[in-house]
Amino acid sequence: MIRVDNIKKTFPGANSPAVDQVTFNVNEGNICVFVGPSGCGKTTILRMINRLIEPDQGDIFINGKDVLEMNPATLRRTIGYVIQQIGLLPHRTIEANVALVPGLLKWPRDKTRQRVLELLEMVGLRPGEVGHKYPHQLSGGQMQRVGVARALAADPPIMLMDEPFGAVDPIVRIRLQDEFLRLQQTFKKTICFVTHDINEAIKMGDYLVIVNQGRIVQMGTPIEVLTSPADDFVLRLLGDDRGVKILDLTRSGSLMESFQAPPKTSAGINGCIVQAIQPVKIALEMMMKNNSDQVGVCSGDKIVGILTWNSIKAHINRVSGDGP
Amino acid sequence: MNFDMDIFMDALWRLSPGYLTEHLQLVIIPMAIAILISLPAGIIITRPGYRRHSGRVMAFFNAGQTIPPLAVIAIFFPFLGLGYGPAILALTIYALLPIARNTIAAIHSVPEDVKEAAMGMGMTPREVLFSVELPLSVPAIMTGIKTSAVLTVSTAVLAALVGGKGMGAVIFSGINFFRPELILAGTIYIGIMAIVIERMISVIEWMIVPAHIR
Repeated sequence: MIRVDNIKKTFPGANSPAVDQVTFNVNEGNICVFVGPSGCGKTTILRMINRLIEPDQGDIFINGKDVLEMNPATLRRTIGYVIQQIGLLPHRTIEANVALVPGLLKWPRDKTRQRVLELLEMVGLRPGEVGHKYPHQLSGGQMQRVGVARALAADPPIMLMDEPFGAVDPIVRIRLQDEFLRLQQTFKKTICFVTHDINEAIKMGDYLVIVNQGRIVQMGTPIEVLTSPADDFVLRLLGDDRGVKILDLTRSGSLMESFQAPPKTSAGINGCIVQAIQPVKIALEMMMKNNSDQVGVCSGDKIVGILTWNSIKAHINRVSGDGP
Repeated sequence: MNFDMDIFMDALWRLSPGYLTEHLQLVIIPMAIAILISLPAGIIITRPGYRRHSGRVMAFFNAGQTIPPLAVIAIFFPFLGLGYGPAILALTIYALLPIARNTIAAIHSVPEDVKEAAMGMGMTPREVLFSVELPLSVPAIMTGIKTSAVLTVSTAVLAALVGGKGMGAVIFSGINFFRPELILAGTIYIGIMAIVIERMISVIEWMIVPAHIR
């Protein structure tokens, strides 16, 4: 869907390139998260995809088409763009802000209006309540929702999101993340997502691209990165709770000992039960609550196996024991 | 110097009103030319290609504002002579500065994130200018026009010194003939004109600027 091939960018007056030798692909329907410290070049990479910044060298293709040969304004109307500061137009109402791209694309008025109402509803806002307000009358969380609605307005297949939930408080951030992931399940947009928060990256990403000093240091699925960090930088970025993070991404069902035949009684499990699809972290929580070193694993309401403390410990040692 | 009420009333009701239209011309013509020049100039200087020069242009405009208008007239006097034309020219140059300065400052103060989002949504640079930068700059631009208009009303008094007439003729007669009645009468009209023009521009501003960015 998006193919970036060996791009490089040096800003005027800078000694070293902001982005160098960056190559990656983003598959259709995936969320690809660029994560790294401030100033590592992740935002520059994102902004080169919609040509807010022009690369010095290298190629960027979207669906096989070279974006550097497209008209920038036309290109950008097909790519949703969400930034941390949101950048709503302060002199336009919320409805008018969301209607921005449909307006540029000269959609008929009725179609635009219907789409705007539908989108506001979709991102969890009441159109009747906020539609006629101006941006400064909204809370930070509401504005961020409007920012997402605006980016989705013309139903672009691709979204670029630059720390979209960075400016809101942690509780609202988690809610926005969850809601966005839920929307994404139906939308299946191809998304490039920039964050400096590794937890957000692991939560949101189908695929992680870890960037440091303008270069990609590691790419892979969250579990691949967590279980085999490429170097000390990645290890430090992942934090001291790498093992626990792995347990958050591992399903209980994958570590359980399956029962050959369903047991007659649930003796020894005592209602201490998790679903097979729930993360091992939840199983651990259950063990602590019940002061037990094993939990039953269910699929639906049928017990299918048992997960023990020892098998969790063995798993952690196996995948993260000594790092790189 | 004693104050003669009869002369004052005569100056206030009979003499000065005749100079009102002249004086208004000395305000409106330079203002119109100044707006026509400095608005586009201010916009051009804030476009990306020229933006790096805008600091120097602002410094030039600020320096221009410190030159007394009489000095501007003196500079052009050898080329244009005395009279109405040089007075208009000097007043125009003087009126340019606050408008240009405020236009540049206003466009510069449009938040970077708003412009980035507008560009990122697919607005062309032209659309960003006309739908984002200018609407958000209107209040500050109008302030510049107001400052400039009020300044021109009072500076236009000096036009009388180079034969440009206007309310200055009344005031300077008063000075030359030691008649405070004429000075006061002329000054009252200048004051009223300044206030009325300021209010009029405020009304226009109120009509064209949306409530929430005022």
